[in-house]
Amino acid sequence: MQAIEAHALRKIYPGGVQAVKGVDFVVSPGEVFGLLGPNGAGKSTTVGMLTTAVVPTSGVARVAGYDVARQPLQARAVSSVVFQEPVVDAGLSGRANLELHARLWGSDPSRSANRIDELIRSLDLRPLVDRQVRSYSGGQRRRLEIARALVSEPRVLFMDEPTVGLDPRIRRELLEMIASLRSREEVTILITTHYLEEAERLCDRVAIVHEGTVVALDRPAALLSALGHEILEFRVHGNAEAALAGLRARGLAGDDAFAVGARVTVPLHERGASEAMAALEDERVRTSELASRAPTLDDVYLRLTGAQLESAA
Amino acid sequence: MSTIAETLPVPVPRPRRARPLGALAALARRRAALTASNPRQILVPLLGPAMLAMIVAPALEVATGGLRTNINYQSFISVGTVGLVVPLSCIFAGLSVIVERHSGAQRELLAAPIPRFYLVLGNLAVALMLAALQVLVLMGLAAVRGASFDITATGLGWFVAAGLLFTVFMYALAETLASLIPTPEEFVGAVPAVAILPFFLSGALFPIAAMPGALTALAKALPLTHALALLRYATVDPSGKGLHDIWGMANVTVEAWLSLAVVAVFAAAMTAISVRVFARAAVS
Repeated sequence: MQAIEAHALRKIYPGGVQAVKGVDFVVSPGEVFGLLGPNGAGKSTTVGMLTTAVVPTSGVARVAGYDVARQPLQARAVSSVVFQEPVVDAGLSGRANLELHARLWGSDPSRSANRIDELIRSLDLRPLVDRQVRSYSGGQRRRLEIARALVSEPRVLFMDEPTVGLDPRIRRELLEMIASLRSREEVTILITTHYLEEAERLCDRVAIVHEGTVVALDRPAALLSALGHEILEFRVHGNAEAALAGLRARGLAGDDAFAVGARVTVPLHERGASEAMAALEDERVRTSELASRAPTLDDVYLRLTGAQLESAA
Repeated sequence: MSTIAETLPVPVPRPRRARPLGALAALARRRAALTASNPRQILVPLLGPAMLAMIVAPALEVATGGLRTNINYQSFISVGTVGLVVPLSCIFAGLSVIVERHSGAQRELLAAPIPRFYLVLGNLAVALMLAALQVLVLMGLAAVRGASFDITATGLGWFVAAGLLFTVFMYALAETLASLIPTPEEFVGAVPAVAILPFFLSGALFPIAAMPGALTALAKALPLTHALALLRYATVDPSGKGLHDIWGMANVTVEAWLSLAVVAVFAAAMTAISVRVFARAAVS
């Protein structure tokens, strides 16, 4: 049995907006799976459908074997969500929030008391757990949100942009915490993000979502290997597409080379960087910020989603 | 591995689920704790009605000479102010639903493995307790100021039934509005229509027969008119004059049952509407 399944999943909102246009993916138990894409790509709507907050227009989705449309209560019982925005009750203490989650998810009282103590200890919540949540900092509140989602020992944990809006230090701490969940918890994690480093660092596999469809799905390393070991990147003062066409005509750039605005990225594969630079001089292309480097998931992402990423960022 | 083992579907383990009463109690406890952490929600709805019962009613009695019946005007008004305190209390409770939708807290509740109408019922349970507390305080204050109530065991039954059903109706109305109205500002704008106007039309301050015929007919269609007539029948008007003004029948007990049925129908219909509207608004 798969932890998460989505087959031809579509969502058209009233008014005709097609947020998700037929998404397919399967997540194995224990896997950390990333949905990566710019804002408006359809990631949150996909998570909304998997968590039964959004009704699919068509297609099938299952969480731990439960059909989200036909068995929404069962699907919710085996999963938890860490939402993009804080959802804990600010007027209650941290402990009251954790206890409420345990009760609503039907956890055994004595077992959940131990579980809450364990989470308080492991997520370093002890000094603040009996204070009202409204006195917490953003990072403290996020830690509580994660503890809350784990109280019911979910088989599937959905994390919708969990680090959005956090300062870099707290974000780093939170990433470490999420990474550590893998070793501590028997849980499948689906995380949505538009931060590439998060996907690269945390996920076993990544689905790149663009305009409501999955445009690539693989391990981060496999996605990277498609671009070879080295890429050449430069800014063109003039027509970037013409410069790219010139390089292609000479066989120095393949179909996977791309231009976003004035910036051109050329996966070199077996070709040499110096050869490509010489070709640019021969073509009398005026360039700046010329550099060769190892490809990142950012390059994969840009190649697949193109200009949309710029507007999303 | 045998062929049979390969073709058998993998059994889906039965998920843990909260018992209905346990989940409802958890939701009610949460709402009660949030309400207790905001005493304004308890006190503010009491201020206006308490002023009416303790200051305005005695002054009006002196100025106008009262109702010119055997019913004490202060007592008459004191019961009438229940028709203001309950709607205001329920409106405040509805407002907190909008606030928690905006704050995001409602999303966690909607992700819980419980039927979503439990959220409405959990809030309703606390709205009922809060309204009961406020009515008790209000009646107590009025009694201190000189209002007198004559309550029998039967009367207490009518009082509790009418008060409870009217509160259910008002809370369901507030919850429906909270699901339909996007912002707290717009929600507050609905207060005059759902709380103040019915209060003036329903005979809270004077018998409905004192109004022009068309308005009297309109008043008879309001659940508050029936609820107030029952509350007074139970406490200050044992002859059921208010019920006679509505029904014009000879048997006051029949009139009381009819009025209770009217309030019950309004409460049941509004609760069904509120659950439906909430469930629809909860998903997109």
